[in-house]
Amino acid sequence: MSILSQLNSPGMYLICGGIIAFVCAVCVVFMVRAWRAGLAIGMDATKMRRAVTASATFAVLPSVGILLGVIALSGSLGTPLSWLRLSVIGALHYETQVAEAAAEAVGLPGLSASAMTPTAFTTIALLMGVCIMWGMVLSILFNRKYTSRLSTPREGKAAGGGFGDTAMTAMFIGLVSAYIGSYVGSFVSGNGRFTFSGSLLPLAVVAVAALAMAGFIWLAEKKNAAWVDSFSVAGSMIVAMAAAVLLRGI
Amino acid sequence: MTQEEKALRFAAYSKKTHVLGRLACGITLVLLVGAPFLMGSLLGAMPDLRAFGKGFLAIGIVWLVSCIVEYLVYTPMLGAGGGYLAFITGNLINMKIPCAVNARDIVGTKTGTAENEIISTLSIAASSLVTILVLALGVLLLIPLQPVLQSEALRPAFDNVVPALFGAMAYKYYRKNMKIAVWPLVVMSVLFILVPSLTGSTSFMILPSGALAIGIAWLYYRKRRREAAA
Repeated sequence: MSILSQLNSPGMYLICGGIIAFVCAVCVVFMVRAWRAGLAIGMDATKMRRAVTASATFAVLPSVGILLGVIALSGSLGTPLSWLRLSVIGALHYETQVAEAAAEAVGLPGLSASAMTPTAFTTIALLMGVCIMWGMVLSILFNRKYTSRLSTPREGKAAGGGFGDTAMTAMFIGLVSAYIGSYVGSFVSGNGRFTFSGSLLPLAVVAVAALAMAGFIWLAEKKNAAWVDSFSVAGSMIVAMAAAVLLRGI
Repeated sequence: MTQEEKALRFAAYSKKTHVLGRLACGITLVLLVGAPFLMGSLLGAMPDLRAFGKGFLAIGIVWLVSCIVEYLVYTPMLGAGGGYLAFITGNLINMKIPCAVNARDIVGTKTGTAENEIISTLSIAASSLVTILVLALGVLLLIPLQPVLQSEALRPAFDNVVPALFGAMAYKYYRKNMKIAVWPLVVMSVLFILVPSLTGSTSFMILPSGALAIGIAWLYYRKRRREAAA
């Protein structure tokens, strides 16, 4: 039996599928509890429904991108582990890098099914899990204190007022700016400093997505089509990704 | 309903959220670390712990630091329930954070409020369930779907999911905060141009970029307060 057939055996699917089913149940429990708590504190059910709809539509396209990560990894690690890694704590940008580095650390020439052995596979699986689990460990240890400190109103200030909200928006602006800055840097200096010969495609995609979003916001604000809000991010992404296909090679 | 009643109900919800969150994280940790050993018993080959130790020293330390930074930065955005869920399900930067911020924006809740905590949890749970569903369907249809998803024609689209996401979000957030956004954008662009090797560490650069944006936002906030007081 080849190594890939062993890695794709029903037993492996059962182990990984079982863990994913557990995580799925956790999500459902948290969602139902949050919904009930929202109603109990007098929140508008329509608003909560909008948040769920917007988040669900928002998640579809990035999820297809994550599925591509599963496909990319499945050639060397088998489908069940790749599926598990990208469904539980995994991250698209992390998995391939760590899988490659882990393969080298266990003495493989690279991440490929031809060189994979069962021992190397289980060691890589353990390494991939342990390297990224710290967010959960910190959540167990500190989440209660950390979040209660963040939501406790300081003297003279109500929760939700003050600088907290602006700081969160600013942090998000910083996050987006770091990524857009990296696309600018890749274009200008990606193939040597100031050579302007890197790929322009990510920047073009950013611009098209921003333009599409401007269109959606115009519809929502000027044409009173508030319902487009829920689909504006997913819609802008589809337009920008379609543009990437048309603009490839720039 | 009085504010006191609302606070009491939310406190009860919050307390149980921490109990459930810790329990869920603990069980997931055991499952995650235990799975390779379970797979090992199936394959007849346990993980090589010496190679694991060597590998962890080589790559694990970097990700440990990254996880600590992610925890400190993202937990305030996600709240308690959303935080537990997001750290269990992963894909924070490319999905969960923008998703929660977008939901919060659509509903119009404020950071640190009970409403924000509820919306954030609903948002992370809904997006996680969609991802699990899409991946499960994708794995089920992996063989017939593979040629379509991996076709050369569609490759640029899926290679650019993150730029498409951040382009849309950038417009949404920059347009009302241009004075704040211009500085981190310019500083980050210059840094990445002058030190091209930093593109491999973009997730680490979020911290200085975010700190700069928060610093500038604080200056404007203080100025507005002074003007209001005058």
